Amino acid sequence: MKVTQSSTYRLLNSNLNRITNTLQDLRNQAASGLKVNKPSDDPTAIRPILTARTEIRHSERYLQTMGISYDKMEATDTHLGQIENILQRAKEIGINAVNGSLNDNDRETLADELGQLKNALAASANTQIDGTYIFAGYTNTTPPFVENTAYTDGGYIATDSTTWPYFYQGDPNPTELEITTGERVEVGVTGNELFMGVANSNWVAPPAANQSEPGNIDLFSVLTRMEEAIRNNNIDDPAGPGGGMTQNLENLEIAANQERRIRAQLGTRTARVETMMAHQERISVDLQQTLSRYQDADTIKTFNDIVQQESAFQAALSVTSRVSQISILDYFR
Amino acid sequence: MAGLLNALNAARSSLEVNQKSIEIVGNNISNINTPGYSRQSAKLTPFPSLQFGDFFVGQGVRITNVQRDHDVFLQSQLENKYIDLGFSNGQTRSLSELEGIFNVSEENISSEIDRFFDSWQQLSTNPGDPVLRDVVIHRGNLLADNFNKIANSLDTVVNNINDEIQSKVAGLNNVIGEVAELNNRIYNIEIRDQQANSDRDRRDLLVKQLAESLGTTTYLDRAGMVNVQLPGGLPIVQGNMGMRLETISNGTSIDLQLQAGGTVRNLDTNTLGGELRGLFTMRDIFIPSVREDIDRLAWEVGSQVNAQHTAGAGLDGLPASEFFLDTTAVSPPASSIYQDSAIRMAVLIDNADDIAAGLPGSPAPGDNRNALAMAGLGNQIVIDGVDSYNSFYARITSRIGIESNQNELSLGGAEDAVNQLENLREGFVGVSLEEEMISLIQYQRGFESSAKFLSTVDELMESLINLKR
Repeated sequence: MKVTQSSTYRLLNSNLNRITNTLQDLRNQAASGLKVNKPSDDPTAIRPILTARTEIRHSERYLQTMGISYDKMEATDTHLGQIENILQRAKEIGINAVNGSLNDNDRETLADELGQLKNALAASANTQIDGTYIFAGYTNTTPPFVENTAYTDGGYIATDSTTWPYFYQGDPNPTELEITTGERVEVGVTGNELFMGVANSNWVAPPAANQSEPGNIDLFSVLTRMEEAIRNNNIDDPAGPGGGMTQNLENLEIAANQERRIRAQLGTRTARVETMMAHQERISVDLQQTLSRYQDADTIKTFNDIVQQESAFQAALSVTSRVSQISILDYFR
Repeated sequence: MAGLLNALNAARSSLEVNQKSIEIVGNNISNINTPGYSRQSAKLTPFPSLQFGDFFVGQGVRITNVQRDHDVFLQSQLENKYIDLGFSNGQTRSLSELEGIFNVSEENISSEIDRFFDSWQQLSTNPGDPVLRDVVIHRGNLLADNFNKIANSLDTVVNNINDEIQSKVAGLNNVIGEVAELNNRIYNIEIRDQQANSDRDRRDLLVKQLAESLGTTTYLDRAGMVNVQLPGGLPIVQGNMGMRLETISNGTSIDLQLQAGGTVRNLDTNTLGGELRGLFTMRDIFIPSVREDIDRLAWEVGSQVNAQHTAGAGLDGLPASEFFLDTTAVSPPASSIYQDSAIRMAVLIDNADDIAAGLPGSPAPGDNRNALAMAGLGNQIVIDGVDSYNSFYARITSRIGIESNQNELSLGGAEDAVNQLENLREGFVGVSLEEEMISLIQYQRGFESSAKFLSTVDELMESLINLKR
């Protein structure tokens, strides 16, 4: 067995090749900061990496959706506050009107103000955000509430929505958005529930005759009928014009409760979205960590390895040069 | 005087032998870097002795043979290892191309699938928005483009393999022809009891090349000819006859045929070895399975998105049409219902109003129920009850990763084994400069001393002639 020139050079060559390949890989890792640059670098890490990336993307989307939801809910809440003020003022007017010491002129003034409040309520009910009607359900491009031109005070029947002063043209579908996988939250309030007291599940599209649930009431009817009762100075005759101020005051209380209840529910959902946002942000950070663990190179380790390989490379190179320095030919004359 | 003449003759033979030996050493040194060269040496034997009185006296030296160092065992080991090396080598390039197509960067099909379903999620926040609706169509188009691109890239890989097969075959036919010719020459030389050393070296080298490319095995017949055959037993060199390999285009791909005498045989992964087997394995087994997987993914995405889309309604409130082109293969001889889904994938919807964000019913621009359902499709387990779209893609990618990883390992292993065996072969039969230089000195000294001996004999003869002056 002898060592020949070719075998020595073959050995040196293959070692240098191996080291330069390793160095190439390590340098690639150091430059990209990733330890998985192609599928063969770590086939088992591919699924976790892709899944983590998908989830990060979802997480970002959910955060954005929650931001939009939060803004919508806040805006809706502002409008609900406005409606609450209207009902509050209506009640003040009602209490004032029940006071018998008022003359006809005073009552007329109060009735006119109530009429204005009713218009303000109608305007609130047809509020738009971003060009869409917020109390209209899915049909958010058409105004949800229109005045019943055929309304007569005498024709009012509490259990038949077709006789009420305003019609609801929207649908009973509150907008839902997905805030995390599988969890949806209602970001809106539908007009039928808020203004007419008809639950979404019981709402039947017009021209059906809907009626308010027990303990709920049609806000427009209350204001319209209160106005009618004040104009006609009907203090407490339920069968008279407007159905009596006292009865309407009670109805106003029911209306205010109905509005406050829905506002409170919205508030709870807003709070839920807020906590979920904070939670989702933490999840996002966790996911980044997971992804990093699978795909990012350990910088210190990589640089250490590079230094190690470089010294191996230097050693191999110096051996190569020594091999060529020493030759039997130098020892002949 | 007769003794002196004999001595003169012995000195002459020694001069000749040493000179010839130096020539052989010189030839060894010349070929120190010739691949496949085996060290040659002169076999020296004394001339038959003559009886001189009661004892025998030698008559000088002669070269009876110039032989080469050779190890049959190592040669067959090398052929085996070259088969492994060739097989791994044949797969490497295609695998690295595949790794480029199925990458793990931020931009791959998986990201596009995410983005497509993400655009639905975004649409759900404002389903009536024409811009968001356009984004959905746009994302759908990008997704379809990406699937088309992958399918086309796979075609490119296959075409590259076909090109490589074609370019290999021309070279291989030359090698096959040369082996057959060398068989003939070696036979003709050695029948006259001579050694065809360099021809044998050359033949060993070519046989190794054939083993690497075609996975051939060899056996020697009685005439000393090397017979080369493919793994399936088909002969490609028989005695002094070489067969021909031919590539035949069958329209979409390339077939490899062996023309043995009058018969033509088709070669495939079972009847090939070495590098060509690696190429054929990639082309006929691995890439088709990857293609089927990506077709499956495209089909699953397309058909399930379509099912969800047709369940919804556009802005007009009427049931929507399909979102993607239905790529279900119906006409036989399709191998599966997914066939060619990836390359045919396309978006059918071109009017943003037709995007089914809501459910059928009266027109309701705020209805986002179908958009939410569609967005949910993106992370559901929808394939075989075990995979989401992304994990299915991850599965394809890791399969390629594992294959490539394996290939890297076995290629490294085969390279090491070949290197080691080549070094072992060098150790036994290679040319070592030190050894040759020392032989050079040795023969030089031999030559010098023979010359000295000759001049001594000359002086003796002169003395003899001068006796009578």
